[in-house]
Formats: sequence, structure tokens, C-alpha cells
Amino acid sequence: MGIQIETGQRGLTDPVMQKVIADAVPDQPLESNRKMNYFVKPRGRRLSEYEILCCYTQPTPDWIPGGLDWGDWTQKFHGGRPSWGNETTEMHSTDWHKHRDPAKRWHAIYVKDKAEEWRYTQRFLKQFSSDGQIRTMDPVWRDEVLNDYLGAFCFNEYGLFNSHSSATRDCLGDTLRMSIAMIGLDKVDNAQMIQLERTFLAKLVPDFPESTDQPKKEWTEGAIYKGARETVEDIWQDTYDWNEILWAGHQVHDAIFGQFVRREFFLRLSSYYGDNLTPFFINQMQLYHSQTKGITGDMFFHCLGDDAEFGDYNRRLMRAWTDKWLPRTVNALKDFMGIFAKIPEIEHVTTKDAIETALNRVFDDWTEDYADKIGYKADKAAMIKTVLSGLKK
Amino acid sequence: MAISAATKAATDALAVNRAPTSVNAQEVHRWLQSFTWDFDKNRTKYPTKYKMANDTKEQFKLIAKEYARMESVKDERQFGSLQDVLTRVDAGNKVHPKWNETMKVISNFLEVGEYNAIAATGMLWDSATAPEQKNGYLAQTLDEIRHTNQCGYVNYYFTKHGQDAAGHNDARRTRTIGPLWKGMKRVFSDGFISGDAVECSINLQLVGEACFTNPLIVAVTEWAAANGDEITPTVFLSIETDELRHMANGYQTVVSIANDEAASKYLNTDLNNAFWTQQKYFTPVLGMSFEYGSHFKVEPWVKTWNRWVYEDWGGIWIGRLGKYGVNSPASLRDAKKDAYWAHHDLFLIAYALWPTGFFRLTLPTTEEMEWFEENYPGWHAHYGVIYEEWRARGCEDPNSGFLPIMWFIENNHPIYIDRVSQVPFCPDLCKGASTLRVHEYNGKKNTFSDDWGERMWLSEPERYECQNMFEQYAGRELSEVIAELHGVRSDGKTLIAQPHTNKDGKMWTLDDIKALNCVFTDPVDAL
Repeated sequence: MGIQIETGQRGLTDPVMQKVIADAVPDQPLESNRKMNYFVKPRGRRLSEYEILCCYTQPTPDWIPGGLDWGDWTQKFHGGRPSWGNETTEMHSTDWHKHRDPAKRWHAIYVKDKAEEWRYTQRFLKQFSSDGQIRTMDPVWRDEVLNDYLGAFCFNEYGLFNSHSSATRDCLGDTLRMSIAMIGLDKVDNAQMIQLERTFLAKLVPDFPESTDQPKKEWTEGAIYKGARETVEDIWQDTYDWNEILWAGHQVHDAIFGQFVRREFFLRLSSYYGDNLTPFFINQMQLYHSQTKGITGDMFFHCLGDDAEFGDYNRRLMRAWTDKWLPRTVNALKDFMGIFAKIPEIEHVTTKDAIETALNRVFDDWTEDYADKIGYKADKAAMIKTVLSGLKK
Repeated sequence: MAISAATKAATDALAVNRAPTSVNAQEVHRWLQSFTWDFDKNRTKYPTKYKMANDTKEQFKLIAKEYARMESVKDERQFGSLQDVLTRVDAGNKVHPKWNETMKVISNFLEVGEYNAIAATGMLWDSATAPEQKNGYLAQTLDEIRHTNQCGYVNYYFTKHGQDAAGHNDARRTRTIGPLWKGMKRVFSDGFISGDAVECSINLQLVGEACFTNPLIVAVTEWAAANGDEITPTVFLSIETDELRHMANGYQTVVSIANDEAASKYLNTDLNNAFWTQQKYFTPVLGMSFEYGSHFKVEPWVKTWNRWVYEDWGGIWIGRLGKYGVNSPASLRDAKKDAYWAHHDLFLIAYALWPTGFFRLTLPTTEEMEWFEENYPGWHAHYGVIYEEWRARGCEDPNSGFLPIMWFIENNHPIYIDRVSQVPFCPDLCKGASTLRVHEYNGKKNTFSDDWGERMWLSEPERYECQNMFEQYAGRELSEVIAELHGVRSDGKTLIAQPHTNKDGKMWTLDDIKALNCVFTDPVDAL
């Protein structure tokens, strides 16, 4: 047959065309190495599908450590700033391609997990509403705390989400870039889940205000989130080093302030106020927090902190960044203490003793999971004392 | 809980609707625009001369979880087909060898574009002020990760199940050797991420995606299917389902700046530069890949180009933006001329430099030569006679001692590289519109092949100073360069690249190349 085909003819299914193809195909494969990305050093014993599909998609030249390309950028910013450059971060690495998501999530795995969470969320909400579980929820908790203060926390998550945009643009590795975009999406998912919960409450509870007006007023003008708002604004828009953005956001602010607000306030207290709804969403957020912790921990501790050449320097820089951001986070928590004056008191649950215990949990976790790993010495008692000074009663 | 509060809660619950209810994505999305707030430092880290409006909406109203659901469904379909039926029918070995080689390039190079678009849309997500507009760009950021993984999956599939894994299995490393790579980076990498954010959006979304993904991602599936490849259509058509949202993002970028005074001053110039940048590479490379990288032919590239680029994009798509002051690019006319001959010009050079590839190339057969002459009258007298001479000199046979690049040198036909596009050209031999221009800058001579690129250079030379492969390799012996950049198969001696796909043909080795003692020179030195 000729080589010009008619519209719709397919080489696989047209027997005449397939015969031509079969005659041209080598009798034996021409190459025995059937492992894609065989040159990549696997993190585990074998190269994972995640590593095959993600590693070395970044086309950086070899003067950015880990890059496989040569030469300069073919187009630069106006004035000559490079497409990507070592100067975009104070951190140093011998290989920016070393990072791995411990959960090995490439896109398909990531969206599959989240799609399952969405489907289960839909089923859960239908069950919750038909079961009438809203009846047990304390009205003050529901109308003031969830509406105003959980609503306002939406903005904390939305601001942190936005801090990932420039990090997604500027970072120097492929697995990193994908991880950063995913943990950014998780943050906006948190913000959306908060609004989703408020919309759901508005469907169940007459006159529950679905609008974001009051929460936004609380976030932008209120005292309880003042420190958090200023910190988030600076992480989002006043920090240019993409590693510092991630360090400040995830290793300091979210690891302390975020953990206290989500886990020790909304999650711990909700059941005391008859709220079985909020824990459903907060636990999804905690799952994302834990996955993010794995990702950023791999990057900061395994890759940068343990870098053979720059590890000591990088840990020193992480300590310096912690010096910069920790006081702000402590201050944000101190402001947040004002919320305890807004809720019906429950002895040993919302009182100072319980708050102090909760703060100890958060700071102990932070010390073990973050500070100890870079040799950072923090005065836990002093920090807790500072935070507790924010209590209004 | 205090008893009184519990009692009140129970009482309130009397008014509660107990019918099963949930919240859909749209009910959340409608609040998205209110998620941001004003503060002093709220500005982008990537300045643009345009002002994007604060109230810009997006057309596809997704939230994070709904996005994931939608993509997950598409993934199930796509990976199900690949891993189930296509593997059972041994689809990887039912692809024409020429097309197997073409997909080494197309899939990997598209992956580069998709990967860089992650960063590009990260920048746009940062630059936009309206939360809905940010949200549209964000979904695209995630899409681009998806597409990067999908393109990688095509090479991964061919590696595992195909007839020649070399090149598929290490394209991310070996792609950097040859003459097509730097031009690829210009259009699909740096062009998307380095510059004014809106200019990058125009490059990526308004031109790259709205114009060239149609031939690149849609037309390629027809060529693939014709040549026995059902793997590529399975993946690429799934990619294309996301592209519509990306084109809409590009549209919304224009909408968001439509009322800005800067748009009337700069938008059409930026669009023209973006179009010329993209077409300068894609017009020849896609045409070459389709027509010279296939056995069965779908239609002449010039027709495909005319339909997708000239009529669909230049006419209809840009026409829709006319109300915002957008005009079809002035360079479209010159591009139309390129669509006829530029890919033939490029194949001549690509074949001459075949040892630097990560794929096997094939000279046109007699039957193909007739097809080319029929569709491009004058083709044989210009190109066909050269290929006949090369074939007669045994260019496919390692025992011949002949590389086509030697013919260029013998006949004094220097190959230059356009500094702005990084596309190689031979002014003596090109039948397309390329002509040689030289500008000295910072003590270095720079060559150019067309007015539009030259104009970009003269305006901002500091953006395009990237060295080319001749400068990089000057003074180095060819086999040494290939070995250093890993252009060999797993036996450590046979080249990945070959000048034929003949299953009975002998394969060239590093020693065969070394015996010819080809040393790179930079032709600019002689100017």
C-alpha cells in the first residue's frame, strides 16, 4: 500500500498497515536496558515509579548543582536575571535533585488520594445531616467560634497557600517543585474546607451566616489573629528566598501556631461542645500537615541539613531563620490566647492548666521534630510563659 | 458542656433540616473571590508592566478536591487502557520504528514544556491579584505536573514495552547533546518563565497552548495512530482535555489587563514576539517530526499548519480577542512562508548532525521522496538530490566513513545558529526565508536568521546571550562529546543515535565516529 493514508486509518488495527509495520520492526529489541532513568540514584533499594516519572524533568545546567544540562539560559528576564539561579536562596546544596516525597506521590497518586477524600467527605456530610448530629452542637461554639474564628483561620491557610506560588516558581529541583505545588494546594484545600463547613452549617442551621464578611473582619481587624496575620503576610509577600518561605511557613509557623489552632484548639475542644463535624475536616488538615512534614523534613533535614558539603552551613542558616520567625509565631499564639475568653469555660479543658498542657505538647513535638534536628535550643518554658500571658482571664 | 447550652442546642435542632445534604464544589467556589485581603505588602514578586484587575473571574470553577476528583477519573481511564489492553496486545511493538524514534523526541520535549509550565503558572498564580484568577492558574500548575508525569509515562511505556528503549530510557540526560535542544528550551522552557509575567502568559497560554498544542498534542495523535502508536493518543488526548482550561486562562489574562492602558501600548508587540518565538521552533520541528519521522503520512504539514495555526488560531481565536484590542500578529505572514519549507531545511541539518541525537533518523525512501515532491513541488531538485548523494556515499553504513556533516564542510555550507531562537540554519541551502545577519556584542559575534528575532535581540540582547552547541563543543572531537554526554547504549559503545531504522542495518559505534576525527568548529569564527 502507499504511504498516504485515508482519514481514520489506524496502523494498529488496519491489517495491511500493520503488516508493513511488523515487517519494519526489529526481530529483537535493540536495547536491553528497559529501566527508564537508570542513571538516577534511587532513594530506596529500587528506582520507584515516582522517581522514574519525576526525577530530572528539571532542565537546569550543571552550574546549578545536580543539573544535567550545560550552558546558559536561552531567554532571561528583562535586564538579564536568569530563569533559575543559585542566588534565589541562601541555602546551598550539592544536589538540588535529591529531594523525595516520602509518600512517593506523583500527580496520579496525589489526586487519587484527594479524590477519595472528597468522595468520602460528600458521603460523610450526608450522613451527618441525616443523622441530625448538628443537634448536639453548642450554639456559642457554633455561631461564634466556628463562624468567626474557624472562619478567620481560613485566611491563615489561604495566605500560607499563596506563599507557595513564588516557591513553586523559583525552587531549583523537580521533585521539590512538584511537592511544593502539592502542599500549596493542600493549604488552599484547608481554606476551602473551612468555608465548606460554614456553608454546610448554613444549610443546617437557620440564620447561620455563610458569608465570609465577619470572619474576614476578625482576621483583618481583630486581636486574636493579629500576630498570625502579620506573620502570614510577611511569609507570603515579604520573603523572597523560597527556602525561607517554606521554613518559616512549615517548620515554624504551621508547626507551632497551626498545630495549636487546629489540633489543640478546634480538634481537642470540639467534642466538648458537641461538635462532631469540625474534627472531620481538621483531621484532613492534619493529614496534609503530616504529609507536608514528611516532604519539608526530607528537604530541610535529609537533603540540606545532611548535605555533605554544606550541611553545617545550612543548619546554621535554619537556626538563624528560626531566630527570626519563632518569636513572631510565639507572639501569634499569644494573641490567639484571647479566644479562650470567647468560649464557655470548661474546667480543665479550656482553663489555663489544660492550655498549658496543650502548649507543652505542641512545643515538645516541635522541639523533637524540628528544633533538635538542627541543634536549635529554645527555652520552652519562656515561650509558654509568653504565650500564656495572652490569656484574658 | 453546660447543661443549659446542651439543652439549647437540642431545642435549636428542632428547626434543623434532617434530609441528607452536602455541599458541592460550586457552593464553595462562589466564596473564593473573598478569600484575599488588602495589606500594604500585597504585591507580586514578578513585576509586570500590565495591571491585572482585582475582580477577574475564572471560567472553570474548580475547588481543590473537585479538581482531584476530575483528574483522577481521567487517570483511571488512561492508565487502565495503557496497562491493560494496550499491553496485552503488545502495542509497544506494533509501532512503526520511525515513529518509535519520533516519540523519543516529542514526548520528552513536550515534557519540558509541561514541566516549565509548572513554574510559569506558579509565577502567574503569584502575579494575579484576583483569587479566582489565582485559582485558575493554580489548577493549571497541578495540571502541568500531571502532564509532565504523563509525558514521562509515554517514554517509560516505550522503554518497558517498545522495540528500542535507548533514548526513551534516558532522554532527560541525552537530550542536551544535539542541535534541537537549546531551541526547545527557548520556546518551552525559558520563554514560559523568564520575563514580564503577562508576557510569559502570552507565550505559554495564548500562543504555546492556544496555538501550538493543537498541532503538537492533537495532530500528533493522528500521525501516531497512523503509524501504529495507540499509546500516544491515549495519553496526549487526556492531556488535551486539560488544555482547554489553560487556553481559557490565557484568555482571562487578556481580559484581566484589557482595561489597563499598558495593554494598548504593549500587548500586540508582546503577542507578536511570543508568536514568532514559538513558531520559529515549532513550525519546523513539528513538520519535520511528522513528515520525516513517520512511515504513513496523514497530510502535508503545511495543511495542518494552515488549519490550526493560521485559520483556527490566527483567525478565530485571536479574532475573539479583537474586542480587547488584540490583533493577529504581524509576523503571521512570515510564519506562513516558513510553514512550507522550514521543516525541510531543518531536517537537512538534523540529519547531518545525527550522531548528536538521542534517536534514530531515517533518510526519505524513494516512495517518500515522491510524496514530498508531490506535496512540495521543487522538493526533489533541492533536497532530494542531496539525500540521494548522501545515500550513495553510504551515510547509513558505518563502514562508509562518511557523515553528512562532512558534506556540508566539503561544500562550504556553514551551519549557523540563530542566537535568539537557537534554531540552526544554513543560509546557503535553506529554501525557507532565513538569511544570515551578524551582530557583535560584548566581543562576541552573534548570528541571526530573520527580522523578528533580530529585532528582539537589538531591543534586549542581554536576554538572549546563551551560547550554542558549536561554541560549547568547539575544538572537541565528536565521539568524545557523545561519550561525555552519555549518547551510547548499554553496551557502552553503540550510539543511541543512528542514521537509519533499517532492522538489518549495521549500527554505528563510538569507534566508528572516532575514526572519522570530526572536530567541532564554530563557523562564526570565519565571519
